[in-house]
Amino acid sequence: MPFINEILKYDSLSIVGLQKNTGKTECLKYVLARLPLEQKKVAVTSIGIDGETTDQVTRTQKPEIVLREGMYFGTSEAHYRQRRLVSELIDVSDESTSLGRVVTARALTQGKILLSGPSSTQGLRRWMRDTRRHGIDLAIVDGALSRLSLASPAVSQSMILATGAAYSINMSQLVQRTAFVVDLINIGVTSERNIGLLDPLEGGLWWIDTDGELHEMEAVTSLSQQVQFHGMERCATIYVAGALVDSFLEKVRKNKALKQVELVVRDFTRVFVTQQQLKMFEKAGGRLRVLHKSHLVAVTVNPTSPAGYVLDSSALCDRLSQAINLPVYDLLKN
Amino acid sequence: MQLKNVIESPCGLRFMLDELELQSGFARRWLLDSEMMTSEQEIAASYDVLRHFVDFVGSIEPSYLNTLLFRLQGVKDIRTTIKNLRQQSTLDDIELFEVKHLAILSTEVAKLLKDHNLDNAVAIPPLDKVINILDPDGMKIASFYIYDSYCQQLKDLRIEMRKHPEQQDQLLVEAAEIEEGVRSDLTRQLHAHVEDIEHALIALARVDIGVAKARQAIGQGLCFPAISNDGSSHYRAMFHPQVRVALERGGKKFQPVDIGFANVPTLITGANMGGKTVVLKTLTLCQYLFQFGFGIPSSEASIAIKDDIMFCIGDEQSIEKGLSSFAAEMKNIDAVIKASRKERRLLALIDEPARTTNPTEGTALVQALLKVLAPKRMSLVMTTHYDIEPGAARCLRVRGFDGGSMNYSLVEVEDGEVPHEALNIAQSLGIDPEWITLAREELETSSCEKTE
Repeated sequence: MPFINEILKYDSLSIVGLQKNTGKTECLKYVLARLPLEQKKVAVTSIGIDGETTDQVTRTQKPEIVLREGMYFGTSEAHYRQRRLVSELIDVSDESTSLGRVVTARALTQGKILLSGPSSTQGLRRWMRDTRRHGIDLAIVDGALSRLSLASPAVSQSMILATGAAYSINMSQLVQRTAFVVDLINIGVTSERNIGLLDPLEGGLWWIDTDGELHEMEAVTSLSQQVQFHGMERCATIYVAGALVDSFLEKVRKNKALKQVELVVRDFTRVFVTQQQLKMFEKAGGRLRVLHKSHLVAVTVNPTSPAGYVLDSSALCDRLSQAINLPVYDLLKN
Repeated sequence: MQLKNVIESPCGLRFMLDELELQSGFARRWLLDSEMMTSEQEIAASYDVLRHFVDFVGSIEPSYLNTLLFRLQGVKDIRTTIKNLRQQSTLDDIELFEVKHLAILSTEVAKLLKDHNLDNAVAIPPLDKVINILDPDGMKIASFYIYDSYCQQLKDLRIEMRKHPEQQDQLLVEAAEIEEGVRSDLTRQLHAHVEDIEHALIALARVDIGVAKARQAIGQGLCFPAISNDGSSHYRAMFHPQVRVALERGGKKFQPVDIGFANVPTLITGANMGGKTVVLKTLTLCQYLFQFGFGIPSSEASIAIKDDIMFCIGDEQSIEKGLSSFAAEMKNIDAVIKASRKERRLLALIDEPARTTNPTEGTALVQALLKVLAPKRMSLVMTTHYDIEPGAARCLRVRGFDGGSMNYSLVEVEDGEVPHEALNIAQSLGIDPEWITLAREELETSSCEKTE
C-alpha cells in the first residue's frame, strides 16, 4: 500500500486535484478505504466550491463518499440530513455555509455521505482545531484547487496532488505543468519572525524594512496597475496577502532597489504566475517564500481524459516521477 | 433604549464593549440587546450581582476560572431551536443535539458556580431531566443520535444493517420512519421543559457577562457607584479608559478629575487643550455604564438615574449626511430643548455650542440657550469659550497652565469669564513665532483702542 504509512506521520492531509476528473475523489476513496482505523481516529471534510452538489464542468453528480464505521466527518446541515448511514453528532459549529452550518459526526455504520465542509480558510482551520479537541488523530480535507475556492487546502500538514489527462492530453505538457505546481507546493517557508508579523494580515500589500519594521504599501492589490515602490529602498521583504500575478512579479524584478527582495505569499494557492516569470525573478536575485506549506506526500495520476483519451499510464508515472523526484501512482491501475 | 442603539455614541462606549472579554457570541448579542435600566431597584440588583462576580473572580484559582471560561465558549445561540420546541414542531437530530449540548453545559457551569456559592447571584435551572431524555444510556457525553435504546425495533434494524450492508439503503428507509417517531416523542417530552431550557441559555449568557464585567472592573480599576436620589451626581478621580490607554501608549499619564453636577446648569470653561471635551465624554460614558450595569471609571461615584441621556458634540455623521456642522449642531441642541419640555429625567451634555459661527452671534445663542434650559428640571453640563453671564449656573474652570504644564483639574469659580491662554498654549506648542508675536500686538492695539 503506497503512501498510507507516510500519511500517518501527519495530523492533517489534503487531497488536491489540479483539474476536474484528475481522480481526486478516487484518491480520497483509496485513502479512506486503507487507513488503519483501529490505530487512528480519522475525520474527513471537503472544501469544494460552496454549495456545489453537481460538478460545475461536466454536470455530473458529485460523488458521495463511502465512510467506514468509526470515521468522523464534517459536512453541512443540509447534507447531514441526506446522509445514508447511522451517525452520532458530536459538534455543531458556528461556521455557516450556503447549505447551513458545518456539523461534525461519527459514523456508527458504514455508508454514504455528501461532504460539504467549511468554505473559508479560517473556517477550515477552526474545524481542524475542533477535531483535534475531539481526539481526532488525522483530519483529511478534500480540497479543490481553484481560484473559486476561498478555503485553502495549504493549512494541512501534508498533501496529495491528483493530476491527469484532464489537465492536458499532451504528456510532455502534462509533466511540465504538473512539475511546476509541485515546485510551487515546495516553495520554502519564510522566517518565523515574518510569519508572526504577516500571518494576521487579512489583505493588502505590505513590506518589511531591513530593521524588521512592517509598512503598508499604497496600492490595494497586486493586480493594481498603480503599484508604486516609493521610499522602499530599505525593503527586505514584500508580502502579497492576495493573489500574486505576473505583472506584479515583473514590476518587482525591474525595480533596481528590490534586487535581493524576498517576496512572501500566504501559500502556493495564491501564486498565479507563469513558470517563465518566476524563473526570471529568481535569476535576478529575488526569492519567493510562503507562510504556510504542506508536505507533498505523493502525486497520483488519472491517465484518462473526460473525452475518453487515454495516456500510457506507466510512461506517465515514470516521466512525472523523474521530473518531480517523488513517487507517482495510478491508483486505478494498481 | 438598547445598548446596541447607543454603542456608537462618541463618548467611547464601543471601546468598553470591545475590551469586555465575552466568551460567546450569544452573550455579546444578549448584552447588546439589553435595555437601559431606569429603575433604582434594577440597577441596585445588577450591581449586587456584579459584586458577587468580582468576589468570585478575585478569589478563585486561575485554572478554575479557565475551566469556566472554556465551558462558556461552548454556548451557542439556540433560540430558533427553542422556538421550534415551544411550537412543538418535531426537532431534528441537530436541534436535539443542541438541546442536549446546552443541558450538559449548563449543568457543568451550575456546578462550578455552586462550588463558589455563586448560584445565588445567577440561578441556572437544573436540566437533569432534559439530559435523561436525550441520554438514555447515561453516557453524559454531549453527542447525540437516535440511540438504539429508544426502540427495540430500531436496534434490530441496525443489527441487520451491519450484517447485510448490501441491504443498508432499504433498511435505512425503514429505520427513518421509526426514528421520526422517536424524534416526535422526544420533542413532546422536552416540550414540558422548554421554559427551563430557555432560562438556562439566558443564565449562561448572564454568567458570561457577569464574569466579563467583573474582570473588566478589576483590570481597569473601576468602581461600583452609589445610587443618588437627589438628582445630583458626583465623581471622584474620574477617568476616561480609552483616553487613558492612548496616553499611556505615548508614555503619558491621565490626570483624573473630580466633578459633580445637579439639576442646576453647570458651565465648564477653560483653556484650549484643557480636557473639557474629555470631561463631557467621560460623564456621558459613566452615565451609560451606570445604567447598563458596568463598573464606573472613577475611584468613587454617586450617580443619579436618568431617563434620557443626550450628548451633543461636533457630529461627523451629520456632516456626512450633507448637513453643515452648524446645522447639525443646531438640530441636536433643538432636540435637547424639545426633550427638556417632557416630564422625564434628562441629562444633556453639550460641547461648545455655536462654536463654528461668529463670536457675536455665538455668544448670544449660548447665553439664550442657558436661559431656556436653566429653569428646566434637568441636568445640563455645557462647555464654552464664550464669555457668558452664568446667572444661576454653576461655573467650573479647568485650572489650566500651572508651572509650565497643563493642570486638568476643575475649580469652582464665581463667574463664567473665560481664561485667555490661547496664545500661551500656542506658543508652548512651538507654533511659528512671527504669527504669535503679531497676534499679541493685535491684542494690545485692540485693548488700547478700547481704553481710548
